[in-house]
Amino acid sequence: MLEPVVTGLLILSAASVLAVASHRRFVGGYPAPPPGLAVLHRGEAAFIQAAAEVLFPDGASLPVAGADAQLPLYVDRHLSALPAAQRLQIRALLLLFEHLSLVWPAREPGGHGRFSSLPTTARLGVLERVADHRDFRVRLLFTALRAIVALGYLSHPANLSALSLAPFEIQPAVSDAELLFARIGALPMSIRYEETDRTDPAALGPLDLRGPRHLAFRFQERFPERPADRSADRNAR
Amino acid sequence: MSSGIELGDGLRAARDRVRVFAQYDGPIEAEADVVVVGSGPCGAVAAYELARAGKDVILVEEGPPFTVRDFELDGNLSMTRTMREGGLRMTRGTTMPTMQAVALGGGSLVNSAICLRPPDSVFERWASGFDLERTTRADLDPHFDAIGEFLGIAPTPDAVQGRRNLLFRDACEKLGVSSEPIARNVKGCRGSGECFTGCRSRAKQSMDVSYVPAALRAGARVMTSLQVQLIRHSGRRVTGVAGHVVVPFSGGSGAGRTHPFRIDAKAVVLAAGCTATPVLLRQSGNLANLSGQVGRNLQFHPGVAIAGVFPDAVDPQFGATQGYQSLAFLDQGFKLETLWAPPPLLSMRFPGMGAELQARYAELPRMAVWDAIVSANRSLGEVRTRPWSSNPVLHWRLHPGDLAILRRALVVIAELFFAAGASKILPGVQGVADQITSLGDARILDSPAVRPESLVMGGNHVFCTTRMHGDPKKGVVDEDGRCHDLENLYIADTGIFPQCPSVNPMWTGMALARRQALTLAGRL
Repeated sequence: MLEPVVTGLLILSAASVLAVASHRRFVGGYPAPPPGLAVLHRGEAAFIQAAAEVLFPDGASLPVAGADAQLPLYVDRHLSALPAAQRLQIRALLLLFEHLSLVWPAREPGGHGRFSSLPTTARLGVLERVADHRDFRVRLLFTALRAIVALGYLSHPANLSALSLAPFEIQPAVSDAELLFARIGALPMSIRYEETDRTDPAALGPLDLRGPRHLAFRFQERFPERPADRSADRNAR
Repeated sequence: MSSGIELGDGLRAARDRVRVFAQYDGPIEAEADVVVVGSGPCGAVAAYELARAGKDVILVEEGPPFTVRDFELDGNLSMTRTMREGGLRMTRGTTMPTMQAVALGGGSLVNSAICLRPPDSVFERWASGFDLERTTRADLDPHFDAIGEFLGIAPTPDAVQGRRNLLFRDACEKLGVSSEPIARNVKGCRGSGECFTGCRSRAKQSMDVSYVPAALRAGARVMTSLQVQLIRHSGRRVTGVAGHVVVPFSGGSGAGRTHPFRIDAKAVVLAAGCTATPVLLRQSGNLANLSGQVGRNLQFHPGVAIAGVFPDAVDPQFGATQGYQSLAFLDQGFKLETLWAPPPLLSMRFPGMGAELQARYAELPRMAVWDAIVSANRSLGEVRTRPWSSNPVLHWRLHPGDLAILRRALVVIAELFFAAGASKILPGVQGVADQITSLGDARILDSPAVRPESLVMGGNHVFCTTRMHGDPKKGVVDEDGRCHDLENLYIADTGIFPQCPSVNPMWTGMALARRQALTLAGRL
C-alpha cells in the first residue's frame, strides 16, 4: 500500500533536486540584467554581453566597444520583433553557445564553465574553435551568432556616425500611401493628411553627401531615452 | 498616366475601400467578381487592370500597409517587420538565405526597383522548351510598355549614382565591357541608398504608392492583414477563398490568427508569391496539381557579391541602391550589378572577429560592393508544406554547372575592382584568403577551392513552382495563367515562369500579369 506512495515521493524528490540543479546551472548565478528587457532572460543577456566583449574589444577603430554598445537591449528588441519560431531558434543558439564550454571546454586556463563566466582568453578560444571548425555546419553556427551580435554593434549610432554611414535626415514624404493608409495598428480616422500635403521628391533634388544625418543617429547613446519609447520616437521623426 | 488619387470625395471613397487590422472586429464575409491574393507587383497590376475593366475586385494582402513613419531605419529590424520568417528564411540542401516580403506592395516595398526586359533568347528558350506560342517578346512588349509608362521606369540618372556606382561604370569602360545605368520604377530618386528598408522620399514607385492606389481609384477594395489558408472549390471551379485575420508581424500562425473570413468570387487570381502559392494549393486539397508539378522545379537567381576597398573615400552612403549593371555576360549565365544595403547587413559577410573585424568595419567608407546574379536553371528544388504552418520548406541544390558560373562571375567582379583601382577585395568566400590584393591571387575564386558551402549566396528571385507549360501534363498553368485543371483559377506570380529569366524578374512578372488580367476581364 505504501510502496507506490514512497516511489512517488522518491520520484518527486529526484525531480525537485534535478529542477534545482538545472535552475542553478542554467538560470542561476547571473548578474542582474539591464532594465527594459522584454524577451531575454538574465542568462541570455549575460551571454550576449560576454560575447560582445570578445567580439568587439575596446581600443579598436570604432568609438564604442562591444561592452558599451548595449547589445543585450538591441538583441532583445530584435527577438521581440521576430515571429515565435525564429525567436526560438535564436534563443536555442544562445543557449548552445552559453553552455558549450561545459561539455567542450576551452583549452585556455579556466576554460570550463558557462561561456559568460569564462575569462576573456577562454571565451575567445571557444569562439575561435567554433569559427575554425572543419565542418561548415559548425562554422555556420559561429557566423549566425556573430551576425546576431554584430548587427547591433555596427548599427550603434556612434559607430555608424563615426563611419559617416548614418542615414540621411529626410523629411518624411507624403504619397498616396500616406493619404490612404493609417499607420500600422491605427484606424483610418487617424490619417491626418490631405491631398495638399503631398510631397514631390523630384522637386527636392539629390541629397547632399555632407548634409545632416538622421536625428536618432546624432546621439552618442543607443538608448538616450527609455528603451520602450525609442521605437515610437524614432519613427515619429 | 498618374496614379494620383483625386481630391476630396474621391480620396475619402478610396480610403473607405481599404480595410486594415484595427478595423476587424468579427468574422468577415464578402463577395466579388475576382479576388486577387497578394499585392506584390503581379497582384497589384492584375487588381488594377481588372478594376479598370469594370470588375468588382477585392485585393487581399496578408501584410499591413506601411506608411513612411512605419519604416524602420535599422536594416535588421526592418527585415523582421517586412519579411516572412523575420528575414531568416533559408533553403535546405544548399544553404542559402532567401527573402520574401509580407507587406502591402509585396517585394516592391523593399526591393531596389530594378526593371529589365529579358532578352529575346529567354523567350525563345521558353517557347521551344515549354510549348508556349504567345509568350514572346513581341507579344509582351505592349504590356512592358504600358507598365513602364505607368511607373515611370527610366535609367538611373548620373546625379544620384554616387561614386560606388560610377566606379563600376569606369571599370567596365577600362576593360571594354558594356554597362549601363539600371532602369528603375523610381521618380525623383534622391540617392539615399535605402531602397531595402523602404523609400522615405517615396520616390520609388512601389505598388503601395502606384498600382494599389490606382486600383482603389478604379473601384477595387483592398483588405490587408488577411491570410488566405484555403481556396474553396467545387468540381472544376473555385468559389472563393477563406482564412483568418492575422496580427501584423506575428508570423501569421497560431496565436497571430484572429477572426475568420470568407470571400466568394467568380474567379481567383493567386499572386501570393512563388513560395506561398504552391503551399496554398497543396493545403487546399492539392488543388491544380494533376500534373504533379505544383511546388516542383524551384529555381533561383543565386547571387554572390564582393566588397572592394579603395585607397580613398567612396562615400557609399550616397547613391542609388543599385545604379549600374552589365549585361555583357548574360550569354555566359550571369549578370553584374552594383549593390548597397544597410552597412550592418553588408558587414555580416566580413570574416573574423575582434580588432580585425572592427578594422574591416572602419574600411566601409572606402568600400563598394558589386554582385552577380546567375541564371541557374539547372539548379532545381522544391517547395514543401510544413505541418501547422503556412511557411514552406524550401529544398534546393546548387548544380555543379551553375557553381562554375558563380566562380567565373567572382573572378570577373574581382577583375573589375582591380581595374577600378581597388587596393584589395574581400571575397567573403570561406576557404580562400579573407582579403586579396591582386588579380592573380583572385583567380583562386575560379577553382575547386570554392565549394557551394563556402559561398555566401543570396537568392531573392524565385521561380517556376507553378510553371507555365503548353502541355497540361507538364505544367500547372497555360499561357493565360489559368490553371490547366480548373476553369477559373489563375496564377500571377513568378512561379509561372517556365525557367529563370536571367534578369531581374519584376517587370516580366508584371507584364505577364497584365496580359492575364486583360484576358480574364474579357472572360468574366
